[in-house]
Amino acid sequence: MQRTDFKVDTVVIGSGPAGMAAAVAAAEEGAGVCVIEREERPGGILKQCIHDGFGLLQFQEKLTGPEYSYRYLQMVENLQIPVLTKTFLLEIQHKENGFRLILQNESGVFSLNPRAVIYAAGCREKTSRQVFLQGTRPAGVITAGTLQYMINIQGYLPAGKCVILGSGDIGLIMARRLTLEGAEVEGVYEIKSEPSGLTRNVAQCLEDYRIPLHLSHTVTEIHGTERLTGVTVARVDENFKPLSGTEKFVPVDTLVLSVGLIPENDIIESLGVELDSRTSGPVVDQYNMTSLEGLFVCGNALHVNDLVDYVSESGETAGRAAAEYAARGLNHGDSNGKRVNLTPGNGIMYVVPQQWKIPMEEETVFYFRSRETVFRAELEVAAGNQVICREKYPVLRPPEMERLVIEPYLIPPGTKEIQFRLRC
Amino acid sequence: MKRLAGVNKALHRNRLGEIGVEERKNAVRLTGKVDSREQYLKAGYIAAGRGYRGVINDIEVNAGGEGEMNLPSFQDNALEGKHFNVAVVGGGVIGAAIARELTRWNLDIVLLEKEEDLARHASSRNNGVIHPAFAPSPGTNKAYYNCFGNRLFNREAAELGIKIEWPGSMGLFTRRWMRLLMPFIRHRARQNGVRGVEYISPEKLKNLEPHVNRRFWGAVFFPETGNVSPYKLTIAYGENAAANGARVFLQTGVEGFTREQGRITGVQTNRGTFGADVVINAAGLWADRVAEMAGDRYYTIHARRGTIAVLDKKAGPLVNYNLGVLPLADTNTKGGGVTLSVDGNVLAGPTAEEVPRREDYSTSRLDIDFLFQQQMTLNELLRPDHAITYFAGNRACTFEEDFIVEPSPHVENLIHVAGMQSPGLTAVPAVSREVSRKAVDILSSYRNVDPDPGFSPYRKPPIELSRLSLEERSRVIKENPSYGRIVCRCEVVSEGEIIHSLQSPLGVFTLDGIKRRVRAGMGRCQGGFCTPRLVDILAREAGADVRQVRKSGPGSELVLKKTKGEVDYTGFKLKGVPGKKEEENSAADRF
Ligand SMILES: Cc1cc2nc3c(=O)[nH]c(=O)nc-3n(C[C@H](O)[C@H](O)[C@H](O)COP(=O)(O)OP(=O)(O)OC[C@H]3O[C@@H](n4cnc5c(N)ncnc54)[C@H](O)[C@@H]3O)c2cc1C
Ligand SMILES: Cc1cc2nc3c(=O)[nH]c(=O)nc-3n(C[C@H](O)[C@H](O)[C@H](O)COP(=O)(O)OP(=O)(O)OC[C@H]3O[C@@H](n4cnc5c(N)ncnc54)[C@H](O)[C@@H]3O)c2cc1C
Repeated sequence: MQRTDFKVDTVVIGSGPAGMAAAVAAAEEGAGVCVIEREERPGGILKQCIHDGFGLLQFQEKLTGPEYSYRYLQMVENLQIPVLTKTFLLEIQHKENGFRLILQNESGVFSLNPRAVIYAAGCREKTSRQVFLQGTRPAGVITAGTLQYMINIQGYLPAGKCVILGSGDIGLIMARRLTLEGAEVEGVYEIKSEPSGLTRNVAQCLEDYRIPLHLSHTVTEIHGTERLTGVTVARVDENFKPLSGTEKFVPVDTLVLSVGLIPENDIIESLGVELDSRTSGPVVDQYNMTSLEGLFVCGNALHVNDLVDYVSESGETAGRAAAEYAARGLNHGDSNGKRVNLTPGNGIMYVVPQQWKIPMEEETVFYFRSRETVFRAELEVAAGNQVICREKYPVLRPPEMERLVIEPYLIPPGTKEIQFRLRC
Repeated sequence: MKRLAGVNKALHRNRLGEIGVEERKNAVRLTGKVDSREQYLKAGYIAAGRGYRGVINDIEVNAGGEGEMNLPSFQDNALEGKHFNVAVVGGGVIGAAIARELTRWNLDIVLLEKEEDLARHASSRNNGVIHPAFAPSPGTNKAYYNCFGNRLFNREAAELGIKIEWPGSMGLFTRRWMRLLMPFIRHRARQNGVRGVEYISPEKLKNLEPHVNRRFWGAVFFPETGNVSPYKLTIAYGENAAANGARVFLQTGVEGFTREQGRITGVQTNRGTFGADVVINAAGLWADRVAEMAGDRYYTIHARRGTIAVLDKKAGPLVNYNLGVLPLADTNTKGGGVTLSVDGNVLAGPTAEEVPRREDYSTSRLDIDFLFQQQMTLNELLRPDHAITYFAGNRACTFEEDFIVEPSPHVENLIHVAGMQSPGLTAVPAVSREVSRKAVDILSSYRNVDPDPGFSPYRKPPIELSRLSLEERSRVIKENPSYGRIVCRCEVVSEGEIIHSLQSPLGVFTLDGIKRRVRAGMGRCQGGFCTPRLVDILAREAGADVRQVRKSGPGSELVLKKTKGEVDYTGFKLKGVPGKKEEENSAADRF
């Protein structure tokens, strides 16, 4: 059965795990929801993540990316949520009673006027020049995600012998994938003194395949005019400055970059939404609503996640709240913004959501990352000058996001700020 | 002889006494050996400006040479035995504009470019600023062509369907007393034919350009400063030339000439030797080598690199004018600062650094740091993390630091257009007219040259979705749905625009070619998202295998191997989801 006259009060931008979870949650709350996706097929980045390890939290199973994504697709289908694929969001305008979305697809340009918008556009990869790599600009310099798309979706191998710069998860996974496809990975070079990907990925993707990981090393120069002929690598000091005398030329035809992801918020930034420089995503409250009423953000567009299960969780939060907002307007918090601010203290990189609107009705999930690897860490959460909760962790690592649930009754009335910090 | 003694003495004074000096056909030639590039350059500059036609710097440098000209490695006979009235060597903006200008006449024109596309060197590696003719010293070729080129630009852009903007520029004052220079500035402007200069007080500057660095004491405003996309302009010239009958040969390198009695009779290339009545040397960084091939080398080109950072479009609203520190003399760093682009990005740079290898466009941390610290800071809100990419271009400079636009004094059918450093782009419309007139003069001495009645200066501009209203967009998409499919998400470029760019008369099928024509891959993700899609589109449109798809020249293939058979997703559809186009958006109000 096809619905052709759907009513839309909530629009989700992006059909990755965040967008689909949000759409499902919103529809379950009774919202008239539709999903906009610019690619040919829904699923977001998961379409190309054919390795397993997804879903341990959401489904208590080890799934591949496409399998994980398929579970959500089925829920989307069962709820008959329309997904407009090959449809590109050109612009969002904020109107008195909601939003106006200007969209384009093969049938022309059209607009939708929902009350609530859930922005789940994911993230993009940093490029060579954005990490200030010098030298020439030949073919053969590619980001790990692009490489993953070419190998896994298109079936093209754009690499022979390669160096991988950066030990982020995608880079590690691609080291294994390249090896399995017959390319040679000379080594992974990481500027920091510890890997930035998950420990399990270092073990399963590098150690199992005897791919060397060079910590405190970086690529300093790119060589070659048409195709890459090699890169210069060097050891770095504690300030990440290359140490002269340690440079070495490595002849390779491909440089794979896994040097970080940036939440993709350029379209909503134009609406003047408040951003958090620590996450490069917007500032949100416990409902994942931004500083602009009715605009919700979730998934990697909010902050870069390392587990897709958390991405779905953030989508559900946004979806439920958006549906509620579309139906009844703002009933949580007051628009004057009475709220508690969450701030990262000693040893903490960031905390999301950054705001807890009053009234604080439900327990709320907070995500945070530590700045450095800390063994036997003790986290303190302080409301004003009162410590309201303590948690012990055998180890905290920056690549591994932590999740903490806080009950509202713990917060003393009149609290203005809650700080996450590590006890020294 | 007095001139020669003067050069010798000056070299001695600068401890360069071992260098040999001789006169050669009214030019001065330097020979010998030095240790460093600096000494080589110093000697060249010492010999310049002493009344010679030019400096031939044949000094060897122990530290290393300039690198060889990168010529196409394949051979065929596509040009063998042919004959053209005019052969233009070099498909940069200068050569392409001259070729187009020449098609106004009933002549057979050929444009020869050694790379796989036009504008691969200086013409795609610059700031795209249409300068007011203020910086060049009065009386120089630079001043003359700059002034008239600037005035002709609007018409040129309109004919070619190229976007042009005239935001003007601010020449910033670094010292308080500099406002006292206004009478001199006005005088210089009058001498060079610059119109509309205006003194801007510090307060007014703050109003007009709110984020300008507070250390400046006002500025001079030049309303005649514009911006244009230099590679789109070059390609537009090339396309219009081709549409008017010029033959454009890419991947065609000029390797030598056959000569008889003081004239060129044949042009030797990797694609055969052909006859030409007139040859125009617009070979940019290699103009002196081409001159040598013709037996008429009287100048020497040295490369001065300029590094430029491209800032995110988000920085666009922070800058209203092209900004630079007021040039008080015709220094070698002109143009540096913060400049605008017609595509909404802001550029910072260029730097200026002498480099030995002429086609070495690698960037260095030093240049980037300089750019970030000295140039980007003209505006207080610009930050290094606004940079989405950076690149370098090399200026083709002579030791005289002026343009050479003249028929050869010794080869009767050769015209030199050399030393075209900044403001060479601005000068283009004036230079191309002048050079084509000179070529016609040479031909007219022994035959009739008539205007071509079929010539059309107009080039139909390609559809650019970003320049259309939403209604127009919708109409274009209804006619051709491929314009509805967005391929480059950062720059919002559709498949239709990409396919159209591949159908140009120049027939360039590379990723970089697409990038220069429609900007796909030029945005903040730098092609991360669209490159794989472009590979497929290129292969499909060229009817080639994906393994043949290249980034730029031969050897830059992207896909080395296929890992599996064909995957067909066309049948993929979700159940219960409106998939038909007509039904898809029934809840939507249409344009
Ligand atoms: C290259 C890459 C590889 C990864 N590999 C792993 C991994 O191996 N393991 C792991 O646990 N996590 C991995 N992650 C992280 C994990 O996949 C992400 O956390 C998760 O996919 C994020 O989900 P999302 O819904 O926020 O974004 P995405 O999955 O990126 O989905 C966003 C969707 O929004 C669409 N969209 C965006 N803008 C618009 C617009 N203007 N109009 C219409 N549609 C739009 C996009 O096309 C996309 O389909 C990877 C991430 C990336 C970028
Ligand atoms: C960093 C920088 C910034 C600049 N900014 C500005 C500015 O803002 N405004 C301005 O007005 N000017 C500017 N300029 C100057 C401007 O870019 C040049 O003046 C202009 O591009 C010169 O064009 P051209 O055609 O002479 O050279 P090129 O574009 O270099 O073209 C010469 C062509 O000849 C070809 N060629 C060489 N030898 C052979 C051979 N043997 N056979 C066949 N083909 C051959 C080359 O491949 C090349 O494509 C800038 C220059 C630089 C480097």
